[in-house]
Amino acid sequence: MKLSTEEFRKALLKAAAELEQHKDELTDLDREIGDGDHGINMSRGFQAVQKELEAQEEYEDLGALSKQVGMTLIKTVGGASGPLYGTAFVKFAGAFKGKTEVEGQELAAAFKEATDGIKMRGKSEFGQKTMVDIWTPFYEALEQESDLNATLDQALADTKERVATKGRASYFGDATVGVQDPGALSSSLLLRSIVEVLS
Amino acid sequence: MINLILVSHSEKLATGLKELLAEMAPDTPILLAAGLADGSIGTDASRIEETMNELNDDGLILTDIGSATMNAELALELYSGDRNVQFVEAPLVEGAFLAAVLSGQSKSLDDIVTGIKAEFS
Repeated sequence: MKLSTEEFRKALLKAAAELEQHKDELTDLDREIGDGDHGINMSRGFQAVQKELEAQEEYEDLGALSKQVGMTLIKTVGGASGPLYGTAFVKFAGAFKGKTEVEGQELAAAFKEATDGIKMRGKSEFGQKTMVDIWTPFYEALEQESDLNATLDQALADTKERVATKGRASYFGDATVGVQDPGALSSSLLLRSIVEVLS
Repeated sequence: MINLILVSHSEKLATGLKELLAEMAPDTPILLAAGLADGSIGTDASRIEETMNELNDDGLILTDIGSATMNAELALELYSGDRNVQFVEAPLVEGAFLAAVLSGQSKSLDDIVTGIKAEFS
């Protein structure tokens, strides 16, 4: 599994389109177990990312691309997702610094660092029905070189059945079982777009 | 005198709290990073960082719920100014009251943080 700067840029453009397409679904889910702004926030952030990526076709390396995306998300997404996704990309920037291509265990390690960044920022752990429940099995699948899309399918199904114990959704308690976590869904959309470009 | 930065999802909530604090500690500088730039509900790390650049002394950040804290911690990491700024976890209203009064008594930032931790944790 290899990721290049140009392919990562393409994946992020694809993610922006996917998030835009699922904007209402993300917002509806968030209305059920949150504050109802996740789709709008993610759309605003990734539309800003899209604009920047379209304006700049070439990046020096994966690190420079990740850093720009991270800072844009921090400035534009708002809510809880801004700092969480922003931190993930700032961690990518550190792991990818000076590299135009990353593969194998080095790629898995970058996704683990991003996941650790999300956990640190949100003071969260795996199993609390958050985006961490998607990112964790994803980097583990990269480490073990198992099927990434199947991993995401399973992770989404598992997350949906959990009780939320972190973030605003936790105030809804047992009512969160059977409702998908909006951050988990948006994470799966982003990660699937990345899977598509891995070669 | 230590400045307070109130980080809230709601501009009205922060403005109201500032009014309350002015009754107890009229001299303590209170800065707000509340709501989004367009006036809607939310918190934003870059707005908090901008507010940190307005400090006229060292500062203490207090937050309301969830993502306000995340954004405050992120803003602290992004801040490149030379003031000593700290975040302390406490209920926003009660914590800000204690901090404003202690600042009004010219306590140091460390003393204020210690005082709040002793009271609320």
